[in-house]
Amino acid sequence: MISLAMRTIRHRGAAFAGAFVALLCAAALVCACGMLLETGLRGSVAPERYAGTPVVVTGDRFARETISKSAEKTKTKAKPLAERAWVPVSLAERLRRLPGVSRVVTEVTFPLYVAGRPFEGHGWESAALTPFTLSAGRAPRADGEVAVEAGAGLRPGARVPVRTPAGDRTYLVTGVTAQDLPGRETLFLSPAEARRLAGRPGMVSAVGVFPAVDVSAALREAAAAPGGVRALAATGDERGVVEFPDAEQARVRLISLGGALGGTSLLVAILVVVGTSALSVQQRQREIALLRAVAATPGQVRKMLGGEALLVGAVAGLVGAAVGIGLGFWLRSRFVALGAMPPNLRLVVSPFPAFAALAATVAAAWAASRLSARRAVRIRPVEALGEVTLPAALLPTGRLVAGLLCAGGGVALTLVLSSLSTEAAASPVTMLTALVWTVAVALLGPLVARVAATLVGAPLRAFRASGHLAAANLRAGAPRLASIITPLSLMVAMTCTILFTQTTVEDAARREAAAGTVAGHVLGPHLPSGAAAAMRGLPGVEAVTEVLHTSVRVGLEKYGAQGVTGEGLGRTLDLGVVAGRLDGLGEDAVAVSRTAAERLGVRVGGRLRLTLGDGTPADLRVTAIYHRGLGFGDLTLSHALVARHVDDPLGTALVSAPSLTRADLARAVPGTGVAETAGAAWAGPANAEVNYVAMGLIIAFTAIAVVNTLAMSTSARSRELALLRLVGTTRRQARRMLGLETLVAIAVAVALGTGIALVTLTAFSTGMTGSTAPYVPPLGYLAVVGAAALLALAATALPARVVLGRHPAEAVGARE
Amino acid sequence: MTDVVRLDAVSKVYGKGQGAVAALREVSVGIPRGSFTAVMGPSGSGKSTFLHCAAGLDVPSSGSVRLGGTELSGMNETALTELRRQRVGFVFQAFNLIPALTVAENITLPLRLAGTRADGAWLDEVVSRVGLRGRTGHRPAQLSGGQQQRVAIARALVTRPEVVFGDEPTGALDTMTARDVLTLLREIVDGTGQTVVMVTHDPVAASYADAVLFLADGRIVDSMAAPTSEKVAERMTRLGAWV
Repeated sequence: MISLAMRTIRHRGAAFAGAFVALLCAAALVCACGMLLETGLRGSVAPERYAGTPVVVTGDRFARETISKSAEKTKTKAKPLAERAWVPVSLAERLRRLPGVSRVVTEVTFPLYVAGRPFEGHGWESAALTPFTLSAGRAPRADGEVAVEAGAGLRPGARVPVRTPAGDRTYLVTGVTAQDLPGRETLFLSPAEARRLAGRPGMVSAVGVFPAVDVSAALREAAAAPGGVRALAATGDERGVVEFPDAEQARVRLISLGGALGGTSLLVAILVVVGTSALSVQQRQREIALLRAVAATPGQVRKMLGGEALLVGAVAGLVGAAVGIGLGFWLRSRFVALGAMPPNLRLVVSPFPAFAALAATVAAAWAASRLSARRAVRIRPVEALGEVTLPAALLPTGRLVAGLLCAGGGVALTLVLSSLSTEAAASPVTMLTALVWTVAVALLGPLVARVAATLVGAPLRAFRASGHLAAANLRAGAPRLASIITPLSLMVAMTCTILFTQTTVEDAARREAAAGTVAGHVLGPHLPSGAAAAMRGLPGVEAVTEVLHTSVRVGLEKYGAQGVTGEGLGRTLDLGVVAGRLDGLGEDAVAVSRTAAERLGVRVGGRLRLTLGDGTPADLRVTAIYHRGLGFGDLTLSHALVARHVDDPLGTALVSAPSLTRADLARAVPGTGVAETAGAAWAGPANAEVNYVAMGLIIAFTAIAVVNTLAMSTSARSRELALLRLVGTTRRQARRMLGLETLVAIAVAVALGTGIALVTLTAFSTGMTGSTAPYVPPLGYLAVVGAAALLALAATALPARVVLGRHPAEAVGARE
Repeated sequence: MTDVVRLDAVSKVYGKGQGAVAALREVSVGIPRGSFTAVMGPSGSGKSTFLHCAAGLDVPSSGSVRLGGTELSGMNETALTELRRQRVGFVFQAFNLIPALTVAENITLPLRLAGTRADGAWLDEVVSRVGLRGRTGHRPAQLSGGQQQRVAIARALVTRPEVVFGDEPTGALDTMTARDVLTLLREIVDGTGQTVVMVTHDPVAASYADAVLFLADGRIVDSMAAPTSEKVAERMTRLGAWV
């Protein structure tokens, strides 16, 4: 049967082109996602600044929790923290005393800004870790001296104004290094000045150990000692992870993104390929009936269709995997450009994603053929005899049951979704909910199409000849209409869901932030603490609230947090306190958003244990519950507490000074941005653009599926169109008839897709924002609908032009 | 002579309840081995249903069908298919051939489906008997309508079936071509002892058969041995009036 399958594919290339294109796209997407996933799992960043240090010891950057699965089995789960974890200097002493250790280098790390550009600041002692050598001048020794990298383009003797966590200061360049590292720009200060700016006496951000010795025993001892220090030693490429903590977060993001994107595209592929192969079985009904009559058993027909699918899947998978590798590189370049992936995180290239894509494609093709074969083997051999084709049942019981089950699953998922209040949990469920609803619609498609055809029949007939024909075609061809509606409604549903979950969250957050920001001006970014203090003394300034953002973990779960100064908080921020009091937010206090409080089960007066961004545990008293968590973060802590535990303590400040203008404020704090809060754009979730890029691919994929299905369905009707032409239908009328049919399909699909998206979005909005109304920008929605309609009309019109261009007398005689 | 096909009180009802339509009513008939039988009747007389039931393409509502001594009732679709594959050949009015396959491949398709190899000598004989020597490498689209029907006949013969069923095998052909195809069927019955049952509405086609069965309203109302086209046409006219 395989050779028969191969012959059929060669002969009926066009019929398989649809499935081929769909599978190829799926393979490319799966392969590209596989590459991202693999990079997330195994990718490494080569160390640059730590390249000359055999062992780098840093604090443990993970929140860890031991979960006991059963009496004897336990599992430790680790989640990365947001900030660097520092270790006490005493650990360096302990390491220095280890046998075999010849030298230990301690380093401190802090942020610096030169004209708004970020630099990483270190003491000159850190130069030994790379090692950096000087090509000109000498090392910085006094407090006001700095050494710069070769790429800075400065000479010894130059003066550089630098913004430091302790305030602005102009430094004298005393040395220029011979090296210039691409990953990050670095400034070296004198060791004493560096320790002052780092602001953590007795602590260091990393310890370099020379030469390579096993320090694990010493680290275990240190952890066991009173006031235990959890530290980790990094060697080889692990040093890159320590040097570039962002890369670690990017890797985690790649894993979840690659998995979600790959899984979604695979599901979409199966849905699309089932559609195209069902369409092709429908078109080959007579041929299959003949095979059955000539004595092919149902099993043999199934095997033949399976063979065709395997062949098409294998070729599409191979080509698609090759395309996918290119797509993977393109995605990486986009992510790097969007800042979602550090440029020095190398893409892991291995045969595994390609193989996975091939296997997934072949499996998807095979699964799709299995499903459409159910229809094929129901074709009765009698149908080969003469012109009679027995009308198949509109909706076989099995399909009806499956459709109803899917709809039930959709209801269940929708209910689950409406109770999820974290983005991490809601995002995958949102996509799944939309998909399951679409599958339900696809399964019940013929029924939906029949109802739709009946409903639109009357208005269509107003268009006289072409409208009358279109109405008749739609009524008779409900299965064909259904097969067009499925990918179209999938496209509308997916696009709306993807686009408008973002806008829903963004809009809710923006509204909360706008409603909750009472202050008239915002200073920043990178505001040194001195500037805020100076501002407080300015006549006319009523209140200044410094704000810092970080994320903390409660258990293993991540929560966005802000640190705010407590004084005059009521005149700058209104978090919407529903219980307790926010003023006088001390270092041992925390305010919790209502959704987080519900999830964590805390109330005012209770205690909340959490792990700060740098791994420091904190046990805080809950003093207030507020409702604007989306706009301001789930937790609000004291600024003083947060500032000591973040990498970058330079934040923003909200200023309430009704009598002063923006220019007045700008004069008071030179070199700092001042904006009116009303116009200040709310910073959306950092990965919104990344999601758009990734999900844009899924949208493009469903668009290809739509074009595919419509082109297939139109070109398969060449004989029918030729007949219409012969009995006196003009080309114009025929084209208009096809156009009207497509318009009906679009209308039904838009209605269904919008319905699916609305149900999903409402559930999402209920969970995430507490409001049942999702935010759908009207222009955005019109654009989606318009694009879908244009695409569908073009995909009908182009093949129709080709088909109608042929001489009708020849076309009508041509064998199918 | 023994009967190759034997129908006993075969009825076929489509639909249920009030909308039920009886296509065959208690039909009992035997087709003798080595005979050429034509089945005639006006539209809606049940002749297609008769063919489907006799050939195992459709399952009767009641009654028994025996094909070469095997009882068909109670067989599932796969068993029926395998039985058809071995014992029955089909020639349809049109759309007989798989367009992707060559003439030779179309002819040997039933053997391929059965997983057996073609007997070379027999294949040669079948091909030359239907006059397709030298055209076995062609695709159906390259053949005329008459040639396509010859390919279909060759395919029906290649498994040496007990009986070949034709459903209007000349219905889509012009008079001259139809005559050639009918002559070929006649030769095959005479030359190889093949049993052929053919449904037709054309008195000329029926005149090539040994016997004609007349169906009307789901019943066999008459039969005629040694038919001529005039006699058949006259009988058909009366049948039409009678109905």
